[in-house]
Amino acid sequence: MRAILLEFRKIRGRKIWVTIAALFGVQCLWGMWAFRDMSAKELSQGYIQCLYRFSVFNTIMMPMIAAITASRICDLEHKGQTFKLLLTAMPAGVLYDAKFICASLHMAAVGAAQAIFIIVMGKAAGFTEPFPLDHLFYYLITTTFVTVTILALQQVFSLLFSNQMVPLVIGITGSFAGLFSLFLPPGIQKGVLWSYYGVLTQVKMNWDSETKIVDLQYIPVDWSGYLLLAGAFAAIYLTGRWCFTRKER
Amino acid sequence: MANMITTSGLCKRYGAAMGVKDLDLAVPEGVIYGFLGPNGAGKSTTMKMILGLAKPTCGTITVFDKQVNRKNRLAILKETGSLIESPSFYTHLTGKENLKIISTLKELPDNEIDRVLKLVRLEDQKNKKAGQYSLGMKQRLGLAGALLGNPRLLVLDEPTNGLDPAGIQEIRELICSLPHSFGITVMVSSHLLSEIDQMAGHIGVISGGELVFQDRLSVLHDRSESRIAIRTLDNKAARSVLNSQGIVCQEEGGCLLIPKLSDHLLAGYFLQFLKEDIGVVRIEERKKTLEDIFLELTGMAVKL
Repeated sequence: MRAILLEFRKIRGRKIWVTIAALFGVQCLWGMWAFRDMSAKELSQGYIQCLYRFSVFNTIMMPMIAAITASRICDLEHKGQTFKLLLTAMPAGVLYDAKFICASLHMAAVGAAQAIFIIVMGKAAGFTEPFPLDHLFYYLITTTFVTVTILALQQVFSLLFSNQMVPLVIGITGSFAGLFSLFLPPGIQKGVLWSYYGVLTQVKMNWDSETKIVDLQYIPVDWSGYLLLAGAFAAIYLTGRWCFTRKER
Repeated sequence: MANMITTSGLCKRYGAAMGVKDLDLAVPEGVIYGFLGPNGAGKSTTMKMILGLAKPTCGTITVFDKQVNRKNRLAILKETGSLIESPSFYTHLTGKENLKIISTLKELPDNEIDRVLKLVRLEDQKNKKAGQYSLGMKQRLGLAGALLGNPRLLVLDEPTNGLDPAGIQEIRELICSLPHSFGITVMVSSHLLSEIDQMAGHIGVISGGELVFQDRLSVLHDRSESRIAIRTLDNKAARSVLNSQGIVCQEEGGCLLIPKLSDHLLAGYFLQFLKEDIGVVRIEERKKTLEDIFLELTGMAVKL
């Protein structure tokens, strides 16, 4: 607990939340633009549309937010050459965990802010669809879980490389890979970490080629996808932690 | 005198090269131990191994009479302060906030921060961001961090690197005061002999990863005894004269080198030379400086 509080003390004045808020702000502006002048039919599918579109938009935005957050939290140690000081007073594994928890709390806050934004937008725009509390909660959990897994990967690179261009390039490349993989078969999608915002979404788009009508519907939870993601998280986190604790200063 | 740090057969291999080889250090309690060696000799690597920041390839390290291992490393280091290579600090935090982070990690009270700030004379600059500090102030901040909790042992790696003469003197005076004022044993590394000469009571000289000398500094000083160099027109005859008087001499660069003698004795030998018709063309007193001895020990004299 002390180590986590220290992480928050270290980032005091670094204004990490400003970058996160700016990227979240872009997402909010896009949401307000996308959901303006809605028809009665659109209002009746307001929340489901929000959950679908936000999941797709998260594929681009959230990996960037994760990459920037991890980079900024880890870069201050590289800049200050503080590893050789900290690691004479605390175990490397504890430092690694504390950094991850500190960054994850930021990610959870973004997920929660998105959920609140969807609720506020629904009320403001007058969505007629019944409020899907369970689906919104699932969206919050999924968004946070996928982002935290990507964050785990970003933290590995941000801690192991002093040049933060490396993790940032990986983050940006990953977000675009995730977006493009959404156009690929589900089997391939599951092989791309950044595509899991789409893989695990509970909303499916139906395209009727005869009537040319697009329809959205809720689908059951993809538990196999969840299991795969959980496995990927464990593998990334434990490998990264092992590499960090073994690295000599 | 008990040893604060003992290493036995300490080795560190980097690929095919040995960074540190069979190092047997003994740092006595309550002294300033100067760890001297040219750049790349293995000083920082050794200190990092002592602090557990680098893993030894083989050998053992004992600190406070306890053999250091992965499990007890942090418990042992709780009573140790360190400053390795350059000072560590967060540029966006103030000096006081930086020290607060270390003191929180070491579970120390807040008044400890004020004590060390006063000790390194940074109390007036404590609310300034560390990134705005001068190099000397950064070094003092690093030293303040190392002194938090009044450790029994301080491991300082080139603490005066990059400082101006006034800064060097200030840090040197502070380090020199630590053993008798606070009972702290200091292990300080440097590649500058003059610096170690002014601070340390004990010295270890490392070269190419190997310990080439370790003892009291006074022992090294003893090696710099004066000798008399005599150049004559017939060194062979002069040598036999000296040998007949029981004086051991050696020839070096066309001169006969004899131990330092009293003026009276020396004058007697010259009279003897004159009687034997040996022309004396040069007499001089030669003294090996500590630098000469250091260069000899480290094998750098040949390279230079």
